[in-house]
Amino acid sequence: MKFVRHLLAAAALALVAIAPVHAQDKELVVGSSATYRPFAFENPNKEIVGYDVDMIKAIAQKAGLKIRIVNTPWTGIFAALNNGDVDLIISGVTINDKRKQSYDFSTPYFEARQLIAVPTTSTAKGLKDLAGKKIAVVTASTGDDTASREFGKTNPDIRRFENTPTVIAELANGGVDAAIGDNGVIAFRVQEHKNLKTVDDPSFPKEYFGIVVKQGNKALLDRINAGLVAVKADGSYAQIHKKWFLTDAPALPAQ
Amino acid sequence: MEQIVWFGWFRADIIAEYSTLFWRGLLTTIGLTVICIVQGALLGLLLGMARLAQARHSPARELCTYGLRWPATVYVSFFRGTPLFVQILLIHFAVMPLFVHPTDGLLVSGEAAREIKQNYGAFLSGVVALTLNSGAYISEVFRAGIQSIDRGQVEASRSLGMSYWRTMYHVVLPQAFRRMLPPLGNNAIALLKDSSLVSAIGLAELAYAARTVAGAYSRYWEPYLTISVVYWVLTLGLTYVVRQLEIRYGRGDSR
Repeated sequence: MKFVRHLLAAAALALVAIAPVHAQDKELVVGSSATYRPFAFENPNKEIVGYDVDMIKAIAQKAGLKIRIVNTPWTGIFAALNNGDVDLIISGVTINDKRKQSYDFSTPYFEARQLIAVPTTSTAKGLKDLAGKKIAVVTASTGDDTASREFGKTNPDIRRFENTPTVIAELANGGVDAAIGDNGVIAFRVQEHKNLKTVDDPSFPKEYFGIVVKQGNKALLDRINAGLVAVKADGSYAQIHKKWFLTDAPALPAQ
Repeated sequence: MEQIVWFGWFRADIIAEYSTLFWRGLLTTIGLTVICIVQGALLGLLLGMARLAQARHSPARELCTYGLRWPATVYVSFFRGTPLFVQILLIHFAVMPLFVHPTDGLLVSGEAAREIKQNYGAFLSGVVALTLNSGAYISEVFRAGIQSIDRGQVEASRSLGMSYWRTMYHVVLPQAFRRMLPPLGNNAIALLKDSSLVSAIGLAELAYAARTVAGAYSRYWEPYLTISVVYWVLTLGLTYVVRQLEIRYGRGDSR
């Protein structure tokens, strides 16, 4: 009995000691779908690396935030944000009006466009040439939106997969005629396959990636935006962009 | 489409919007399940008999042991020992492209391969994976059923001059079938649910429709509740069929 009392006292003391530290510096959980090379992917050492990872680490350092990145599958990533399983998402999420209705976005941190991947033997020049062809996209991605808007969302020719590697595998094996996705990812995957090439449709609009927080979480959003401004100002953004994409970083809008 | 809200929260309109996907998905699921139940049962029967193959005199004895029993045992062990999800991905992205490829397929290549891969690729892979997998599980059911028939039956029919195959067909299997119906029904019902995994390779069945809606609207109750109800109704139907078979084959039973 005496031992148990001592044990309980020790536990209570430990909790009291830890509590103030926790209240001050809560670690934020960052959700990222690490199948999105070069934005977020797992390297051979099982660490999550990529453009998104470097950006969020830089932003967190400037904004004084402690973060922990968790590999969250794309399918449930927004649900995880709403449940509180993750505090923010950085995963190549394109800012669009539909998503703005349910979530809050930071200012843009990357400029992107949609890109089409086809076999080298294909003669397609743009989205319209893909009419009647089988197209692979990632479920609920911007590529999915693009294809659905053009060809109808219940069109059986649109094949939806859970992540980009399976989309590209399906294309490389001849199961579909084309794939649509973000240019950063598609360009990287196509260069891995000798039998694929990219087709740039000039009608695709310029898009921006943003960091997502739960709707109404203004405090966190302001800190992230402040961090992002600092990252752009001191040249870190340009440096990170050059590291992953080898090209100069485009100027991003402040909204 | 304006919102149709049931019970104050269930947005039935988002299901109605994708109703084509759900109907097509229902037909695909039913087709996939029926085909795989039939093929799986046939494969299971052959494998079950192979596991029990024996002969008195060599070389038939060695042939039976190393040519039938061992391969069957290894096959069953592998397909029961690896996850069905992994088998589906393996077969669709690694095994099928070996055999059916537009440039260098071992079985089919060229235009025919492209046609097959694009229009039926996912369905074919799903059928192959589910058949091979359920064949392994069903083989154990058949083995148990055959072994449960009194040895006296086999001895009697062999002493009447019936060959092994005639014995199986006329004496053992009809009696065993009656006993195997409950576990076979179980496997059939499990197969119906396992077919939902094939949505991962882009086959447009029920689970795929639900994932598409969930992805498009970020709402999870409506699509998943809908397909849960549909799967439940299908299971009830399958249970009814099995029950009718049990009644039909059970006539003349004293228990």
